[in-house]
Amino acid sequence: MADPMEQFEVKPVVEIAPVNVPGLGLVDLSITNSTVAMFVAATIVVLFFAIVTASPKVVPGRLQVVGEGMFSFIDDLATGIIGSQGRAFFPFVFTLFIFILAMNMLGMFTVFTATAQLAVALTFALMTFLLVIVVGFAMHGLGFLKLFAPSGVPWYMLLFVVPIEVISFFLRPVTLSLRLFGNMLGGHVAMKVFAGFIVSLGAVASAGGVAYLAYVAAILAFGGVLALTALEFLVAFLQAFVFAVLTCVYLNDAVHAGDH
Amino acid sequence: MAVQSSDAPPTHDVSAAAPTGEHGDAYAAGTEAEHASGGGLPQFEFQWWAGQIFWLLIIFAVLYVLLSKVFLPRLRRVKDERAGTIATAIEAARQVQAEAAGQAEVAKAEVEQARATSRATAAAAKARVTDTANARAAEEEAVVNARIAEAEAAIGKTRDAAMTNVSSIASDTTRAIVEKLTGKAATAAETDAAVKGAA
Repeated sequence: MADPMEQFEVKPVVEIAPVNVPGLGLVDLSITNSTVAMFVAATIVVLFFAIVTASPKVVPGRLQVVGEGMFSFIDDLATGIIGSQGRAFFPFVFTLFIFILAMNMLGMFTVFTATAQLAVALTFALMTFLLVIVVGFAMHGLGFLKLFAPSGVPWYMLLFVVPIEVISFFLRPVTLSLRLFGNMLGGHVAMKVFAGFIVSLGAVASAGGVAYLAYVAAILAFGGVLALTALEFLVAFLQAFVFAVLTCVYLNDAVHAGDH
Repeated sequence: MAVQSSDAPPTHDVSAAAPTGEHGDAYAAGTEAEHASGGGLPQFEFQWWAGQIFWLLIIFAVLYVLLSKVFLPRLRRVKDERAGTIATAIEAARQVQAEAAGQAEVAKAEVEQARATSRATAAAAKARVTDTANARAAEEEAVVNARIAEAEAAIGKTRDAAMTNVSSIASDTTRAIVEKLTGKAATAAETDAAVKGAA
């Protein structure tokens, strides 16, 4: 059986001589299959929206309905969770959503899933985390720290609540990245394992005789792959959606830090 | 497995050869160790992290600029335009409806007025016709009355005349009868008085 982890190996496609970054030492910025997957996903997104918005019509065509559907979906999400100030963050949330969705979906059709790389998921999570901190301090100054001390809590409870709030706040980028990373990793590993069963069971069955029964198991494994593939398409969308929702929720905390 | 282990060394030779110095050696060693044990996630080969993060940030930035400056405003515009078109159409429809209702009101009032006018006209015509008829009838009656009065006068005169003749005839007859009976003619004055006394 092929190694189910092989699909996650990063391999250089275009070698670039390591760059000496002060403080980090030599850094290899080669273009890898991961970078190519990101680039292809971003290109698909750009091409899609270039076609959709080339000549937008008041009475939309099919593609435009899809594009506008995604637009409204995230627009409603941002304004629904953050409120009227959500408009300002809408492009960021939308870019996150569409980029993650494109990479997840690309992983369903090609051999490499960029979002199943922890480096990628963590970068997205840290971007959101840093944006939340920057927005929070920019809008409220030190008042942003009220986020850790919910109003209406007696002072002796604050002794417990504040550390919990602080820890949960700093765990956000971890949970945010591990959720995306883990879902994509697990799904693709499971698909690969079930697909591997088909081949190895087929090999067993080729011995003939009673071993033909292995074909039954192989067919079951094939059904498993089929079901998992359908599930993974759902997960690919759902994880992009969840990432967008949580980004909105965290941004809402930053925007309305003093309100709770 | 066999394929992979024969595949892996060249990959790592390249990566190990490229970064020289402590970091490169450490990464390469760690990677080899992971593969030697046959487990470990390829995601934790940290030598590829910097490149992925670097390119991801660049691609994300480009995508963000393109979406936020070009594509999303276009979609926003067309959506706003659609909302505006629909609002305008609804407003126009409402206005037309109000206008139609107003016109219906005016038409109703006009019909009402016309009906009142025609009713007045009919009443006036009826009154005029009645007046004319009454006047003519009165005129006819006056003529007829005059003729009746005339005829009555004529009848009265005739009767008076006849009555006068009757007394003279009676006087004459009386005289004739008296002469025949008595043989003596009575005077006209006597018979007249007798006739008058009898009447």
